[in-house]
Amino acid sequence: MTMDFSIIADHWGFIQRAYQMTLILSVLSIALGLSVGVAIGIARVYGPKLLDYALGFFVDTMRAIPVLVVLVWGYLAFPILAGIRMDPLTGATVALGLHLSAYVAETVRSGLTSIRRNQFNAAISLGMSPFQAVWYVVLPQALIRMIPPLGSFVIIAVKDSAIASVIAFPELLRASQTLVGQTFRPLEIYTTSMLLYLITLYPLARLFEYVYRRLAPRGAS
Amino acid sequence: MNLDWNVVWENRGLFLEGALVTVLLALASMALGIIGGLGLALARLSRHRVVSIPVALLVDVVRSTPVIMQIYWAYYVVPILTGLRLDALETGIITLAINVSAYNCEIFRAGIVSIRKGQWQAAMALGMGKARVLFEIILPQAIHRVIPALANIWVALFKNTSLVSTIAVADLTYVALTLRVETFRVLEILTAMAVLYWIMGYPQAKFADWLHKKFKVEE
Repeated sequence: MTMDFSIIADHWGFIQRAYQMTLILSVLSIALGLSVGVAIGIARVYGPKLLDYALGFFVDTMRAIPVLVVLVWGYLAFPILAGIRMDPLTGATVALGLHLSAYVAETVRSGLTSIRRNQFNAAISLGMSPFQAVWYVVLPQALIRMIPPLGSFVIIAVKDSAIASVIAFPELLRASQTLVGQTFRPLEIYTTSMLLYLITLYPLARLFEYVYRRLAPRGAS
Repeated sequence: MNLDWNVVWENRGLFLEGALVTVLLALASMALGIIGGLGLALARLSRHRVVSIPVALLVDVVRSTPVIMQIYWAYYVVPILTGLRLDALETGIITLAINVSAYNCEIFRAGIVSIRKGQWQAAMALGMGKARVLFEIILPQAIHRVIPALANIWVALFKNTSLVSTIAVADLTYVALTLRVETFRVLEILTAMAVLYWIMGYPQAKFADWLHKKFKVEE
């Protein structure tokens, strides 16, 4: 076995661009997943019953189907159904983002319901509107309690971005596959991309733990 | 758009075989992952740092990298490093098992630590040996507490089995992606795949929710 990591230096520009693609896809799908997820979570807790059932069905469906299947169906089958064209970045962002939103929605829902109902009632009796009661009283406390699960979803989203390699989106894993095909050096290339994920995600996980430890007392009630 | 759902019915045998492989993959890796996770948890709680630190490192590496990346690494790099050549199915099961072991390790560890120290002391005061306390007093309670968390891991694992299709293990995803190319009925084949996953996964997700309610810890 011979190891020759100079191959990594030779293709560093290519790997760097792929790494940026991984970050771009992660940020976009996290942004979509968080905003849709928070909206679904709030709608399920405070919205009408019928909406709760419909959104519940969406959430449970996303939790039941592998993200790879959501991605492949969304990118290859859905455009036929809808008669549209989609580029890999859009397809991957929407599929990963919607899949993530289901988990975010569940977290938001249980976070909101974990704040005692009487706090909401008390805020209303002080003359706040329901929106103000949720926005200023319930949500800030609930958000702190949601930090650990939301933090792990951010990490999961970055990890899941590697699945976009299946639809040929040129992120880190896909680029590694391309390089391996050209150079036949899987050892050096896959190990490097593995390390890139590690040095990105490990500090991120520790950061979320730290932030939560600092803020946890403020979420207690 | 003309749809031809017959193509799904004609290939029902292949779909079912793929679904069976998916189920077996999940069962085999979870069985290994529970044993592995328990072993890793005990090693991580060990007083000896030569044991606990490497295990902690392994767990963090596994949890900080994508499963699909691990599958590629196991399939293409491990044979070069070790000279050991496993087929795709074996690689898939072992990789998923190691991945699940790392997550289970954290769950079992949290479960064991959550049992109050006083129980250790009480059992040892009654003259029980350390191993007996662990296996007869602590673990039964710890496992009871972590059942909902294990159910979550199972649901996630069941979904992650689809990723081994990338190294050509003939699971449901692989069968469907192959049929898609052979029949050109993309929408029908992929929808059938998604529906089959839904039929298998939906009750599991609901069952996991029910376990969370049933085993809620209240102290």
